[in-house]
Amino acid sequence: MQNLLSYLIFTPFAAALIGLLIPAEAKKTFRIATLIVSAIQFIILIAIIGNTTPQLGSFQLMEKYNWFSIDLGNWGILKAEYFLGIDGLGFSMIALSVLVMLIASISSWTIDKNVKGYFILLWILNGAIIGTFCALDFLLFYLFFEFMLLPMYFLIGIWGGPRREYASIKFLLYTLLGSILILIVLIALVISVQAPESGDTVVHTFNLLHMSDSANFIFGSILSPDDAWLIGSHTARWWAFLLLFVGFVIKLPAVPLHTWLPDAHVEAPTPISVILAALLLKVGAYGLLRIAYPIFPDAAVELSSVVAFIGVLSIIYAALNALAAKDLKRLIAYSSVSHMGFVLLGLASLTVEGVAGAVYQMFSHGLISAMLFLIAGVLYDRTHDRLINNYSGLASRMPMFFVFVLIAFFASLGLPGFSGFIAELMVLLGALASGSTNELISEGFAFAAAFGLILGAAYYLWTLQRMFFGPFHVKNEIRTELLTDLDKREFGMLISLALVILIFGIFPHVLLDYINPFAQNFADTITESIRLIQNP
Amino acid sequence: MTNLTPSEILLALVLILPLVSAGVSFIIPERYSWATSLTAPLLLLVTAILSFVLFFTSEDLQVSAVWFSIGATEIPFSLLLDAASRLMIVVVSTVSFLVHLYSMGYMGYDQKITRYFGMLGLFTFSMLGIVLANQLILTFVFWELMGFSSYMLIGHWMEKPAAARAAQKAFLFNRIGDAFMLIGILITWIQQTSGNDPFWQTTGVICIFLGVVGKSAQLPLSFWLPDAMEGPTPVSALLHAATMVAAGVFLLIRINPLLTEPALTVIAITGIATALFGAVCALNQFDIKKILAYSTVSQLGLMITAIGLGAKDAALLHLFTHAFFKAGLFLAAGSIIHALSHQPNNTLDVQDIRNLGGLRKKLPVTFMVFCVTGASLAGVPLLSGFLSKDSILTAAWNLSHPTTQFLFTALILIVSFLTVLYTFRMIRFVFLGNESQATLHESPWVMRIPMILCAVASSWLLVSLNPLHISGWFIHSFPGAEASAIASIISAVTVLIALIAAVLLYSKQTSPKTIVMLQNGFGVDSFYQRTIGSAVLYFASAAEATDKKVLDGFLHFIVYAHVSIAHGIAWFDQYIIDGVVDTSARLVKWAGSFTRSFQGGKIQLYIFWAVAGLIIFLFFVLI
Repeated sequence: MQNLLSYLIFTPFAAALIGLLIPAEAKKTFRIATLIVSAIQFIILIAIIGNTTPQLGSFQLMEKYNWFSIDLGNWGILKAEYFLGIDGLGFSMIALSVLVMLIASISSWTIDKNVKGYFILLWILNGAIIGTFCALDFLLFYLFFEFMLLPMYFLIGIWGGPRREYASIKFLLYTLLGSILILIVLIALVISVQAPESGDTVVHTFNLLHMSDSANFIFGSILSPDDAWLIGSHTARWWAFLLLFVGFVIKLPAVPLHTWLPDAHVEAPTPISVILAALLLKVGAYGLLRIAYPIFPDAAVELSSVVAFIGVLSIIYAALNALAAKDLKRLIAYSSVSHMGFVLLGLASLTVEGVAGAVYQMFSHGLISAMLFLIAGVLYDRTHDRLINNYSGLASRMPMFFVFVLIAFFASLGLPGFSGFIAELMVLLGALASGSTNELISEGFAFAAAFGLILGAAYYLWTLQRMFFGPFHVKNEIRTELLTDLDKREFGMLISLALVILIFGIFPHVLLDYINPFAQNFADTITESIRLIQNP
Repeated sequence: MTNLTPSEILLALVLILPLVSAGVSFIIPERYSWATSLTAPLLLLVTAILSFVLFFTSEDLQVSAVWFSIGATEIPFSLLLDAASRLMIVVVSTVSFLVHLYSMGYMGYDQKITRYFGMLGLFTFSMLGIVLANQLILTFVFWELMGFSSYMLIGHWMEKPAAARAAQKAFLFNRIGDAFMLIGILITWIQQTSGNDPFWQTTGVICIFLGVVGKSAQLPLSFWLPDAMEGPTPVSALLHAATMVAAGVFLLIRINPLLTEPALTVIAITGIATALFGAVCALNQFDIKKILAYSTVSQLGLMITAIGLGAKDAALLHLFTHAFFKAGLFLAAGSIIHALSHQPNNTLDVQDIRNLGGLRKKLPVTFMVFCVTGASLAGVPLLSGFLSKDSILTAAWNLSHPTTQFLFTALILIVSFLTVLYTFRMIRFVFLGNESQATLHESPWVMRIPMILCAVASSWLLVSLNPLHISGWFIHSFPGAEASAIASIISAVTVLIALIAAVLLYSKQTSPKTIVMLQNGFGVDSFYQRTIGSAVLYFASAAEATDKKVLDGFLHFIVYAHVSIAHGIAWFDQYIIDGVVDTSARLVKWAGSFTRSFQGGKIQLYIFWAVAGLIIFLFFVLI
């Protein structure tokens, strides 16, 4: 099977093109079409599973075509490729994307305003996200990365809530800032890196795999590891890592660059919130794992305590914010920030356990946050009111909904049996093991993260107590007859997510078979490149 | 998994059946909810029988498989059936079955009976898991599941705000311990595989102990347990007897080899402090269930003390006997509540011992059960509690260091003295004295049988042939639990003195008295709320304010600054740059129209200007 990844990426793009030809009144057609797109992607995903060997640590399903190659005279040749491939990390992310996109598609059925525009943008977003997770060429990655931005901006800005303009502009500004920082490093990298095949004329390449090999840096170039340029008291590599880190961490997001997220979530329509939390945040973490760390392992090691600190700060600070949140969706948004902090902590440890835990957390948080935002959507669809204090005793009024709220909340606070526990367990194990193995980060970070676990329980249980326990009561403006239990569509989405979360909580090896070789490779490569850089 | 021995199959069944019961309850539709009150007790009966079979037939057994692996680290799924866990599965499944049976009567008319039995099944499953798990991460998994199911059980009547609060408090207090326990487990794990650092070993074990402190309601995390009485009474019986709180003690028995010297000291001090605290508080409660709750806190403290003193078999023995007599006490208390609250026109709080009295004639079976189990709690000879308490006392008596020997022996004796006092106080004000209630009916048979069985199980025969000394019997699980004759005598004398003191103290009183501060657990609970609770909320709102004011404020400032600068530039553009351009254009235009005005096309004008120019020229030249 050739070009499976391309099929996966271009199915939604093709759908978007065809969608332009369908008249805007045919709402039902669009709703069916989006299911078809997801179904096709699902089939391709199964084909991908069939055509990959998880135990192999290397990239698989690679597709490599020349994109352009410009001869720039003395300076050499600038070469960009259409280069795709996945390893355990990429596989986990595209699997997550396909799953979440399916759920988001079903959830999008309630959209009634300008259906045509909505679905076309959704498909563009779909293709761009999966493209980002597959691209192995920095320019291609950057292209997909930027391509996600516009549909998201419009999806929040047009289909969002009352303050949608503010939220979408804020989202755009933050993300643009991140993009610019990444672009700076992209340019510096392409100046500094030559393809190994270059002979007399230097071939400057965007190939990420070449960039990750310290042997390919041109001696004396700005980012060269052997002959480092100093900017201030630090090497240019250090600064480049920092720029990439900030650029990707905005997307993650981590404190203090997170404030766009709660606003974007609160204003975004339910399916867009689902995609935002489940997939877009992962792009940030993915960028760190795929680009920032492998290319600048020396700087990453130097800054690992900073990374861990920001991770732990996010865990605790965002959890406190969640505790103070009055809007259910804002609470869930902050819990997202808190949980993504674990990704940073695991990554900072640079142990196999920590890195595998970070990837597992990305996957698991994708599923759990999707479920949480669907839950917020269920309530909002009925009453257009998400204020926690306006409800009480919903458990007796909506018993089936209550069951799923329990599952989602307890999964998110890390109850064993659900996938989140496995991820947090591995991250904490990695963070603690780091102290006695590679001595990068102190055990204190793991202890601090434990406070995050306690706070996580606190805000969820407090929400349960306020909204679901006690005698049934709602604020006057809300009409009680609107509060009906789940319909079939909502039940279907929630039960499938719940089952998947449960499966990955009880049988983690299903996914760990893919993640383990990646994490092992990742940790080994970084250790190896540090050794090479230190004693060339 | 092809060659399973019969014992292994039995073991799997014992573990799985309660989970099956939970699953069945979850699936059964609401219309047939009555069916769960048959399926659940039946499945638990089978579990109990199978665990008895295992107890009498099985050798030590270990089942291991890889659950999942992270890199090179393998996380095993490993179960161990040894002397201690063999005994515990019998206790857990039996008490759980009795509670199921009792619940058929007690919870018969409950709306949410399916959820109740479902969670009871999950709860039993988790406890059995903790007992059988041979690996700490697996223990933690079951440990947390138990936290969840206890949350649901305590909060079963969730429409009651007090129940909802109690459930939340229980889970949060547990969670505080558990978060550190997880860290401790991981540290221990790392130390076992790669490190050998005494500091981290002790830190790890103490962190695990913090989890035990949470679950077994030790100081300073005791305060969820009395509140947890908001749950249905059978749940209290289960929580306080064989499961949940017992889990912590059992875990300490399991990890006993890992306990370092400093950790043991911490454990012993925590245990004895809790034992005293619980006993003093129990003496000052009015609510019958809260008296029992604080009594549990106190008894658990004794078990923890025993572990701290290095006598894990004594702790296990007391855990074992306590499971039955405390279950009996709670079931009897439930029987009182059941009888009284089914009375018409009852507006009084039926759990308040001030409203009770003289029930011995109306509820003879309950009275008998309460007396026997209560006496066992108090440590009266011929009952199981006497034997197990003796072995703990012996552990203190046998300490080598004279100061600690005296201190611990004395403190344990004080605790048992207080135990007699509060037990007698309870019996005195609930069953003796004037009759205050009208016609009452003893509970139905499904509730009476479990009570009676618990009372029977409180006799010495359960643990020993000799009623005054542990001499071994069909149970060989307590090789290290021994009782010295001196300790037995001292203990018996203490109980006797305490009994006399209690009779003197309480027979004159017409109503029970209390010290308010002690009634509220020394006020520590409200202290927590005022300090830690408010601090967390303060930090939360501070974080919120930081987000809104500082971070977003900074962003808004930057954006406004940008926009202001843009406006400034626009102004500059409009008035300065454009101004200059416009002015020069106007200047040129003016100059143009000025010079154009010379060229009016009239000869006279040309001549005039020519002459004027000539004059000006001459003027310059000549001067």
